[in-house]
Amino acid sequence: MDTSPPEPRLSALYQELILDHYRRPRNKGALEGATHSVSLNNPLCGDEIDLQLRVDADVIRDVRFIGRGCSISQASASMMTQLLKDRTVPQALTLAARMSAMMQGDESAAKDKSLGDLRALAGVSKFPVRIKCALLPWNALTDAVKP
Amino acid sequence: MTVYGPRGHRAGVVSFTYGDIHPHDIATILDQDGVCIRAGHHCTQPLMRRLNVPATARASFYLYNELGDVAALAGSLVKAGALFGYVPA
Repeated sequence: MDTSPPEPRLSALYQELILDHYRRPRNKGALEGATHSVSLNNPLCGDEIDLQLRVDADVIRDVRFIGRGCSISQASASMMTQLLKDRTVPQALTLAARMSAMMQGDESAAKDKSLGDLRALAGVSKFPVRIKCALLPWNALTDAVKP
Repeated sequence: MTVYGPRGHRAGVVSFTYGDIHPHDIATILDQDGVCIRAGHHCTQPLMRRLNVPATARASFYLYNELGDVAALAGSLVKAGALFGYVPA
């Protein structure tokens, strides 16, 4: 039996920070007084997210999510909600673009401090079939704030 | 680990979940060792709801599999358990 330690790429994918957000998601649950909400799911893998935002004068005052799915999609959603509070909608869309760049392997995005905890997800770019998991909450965000 | 299906008269098709590790995470970890399983709803979403699981992992054995393949599956599952803190790394 192969009992060698996990490969570096895998341990980069499943970092403690990601598992922590998966097991103790931040800002999970319904948001009272939401002004924007979008439900998205990936029918192929079953990941679901219901993203709710309270936007006032183009500023995201609060954001919460309800969802279920793999560690990557749930950690990405949890980390995203942490980052979005008190951002303007254009700032949020800029972050979405940086996140997407990081998933395409852009190393400058992976070092961009503005992405906060999300940088822990940089390793996902090496697993093409999992990129959609990390981007699901961000696609929900983009849909939600679309004019 | 939970194995789903009848207790007797089993075929070489084993659906399972492992703690709170999402089946797609299990599949990604096993894939890195060249162990190919299926993960997901297996076209049985109502059953998944009934079982109250998001999805299951599923290993299938056939004529071309050897005992070594079973050992490889078990070894990779230990690795998944280590990554998610179920067994010591």
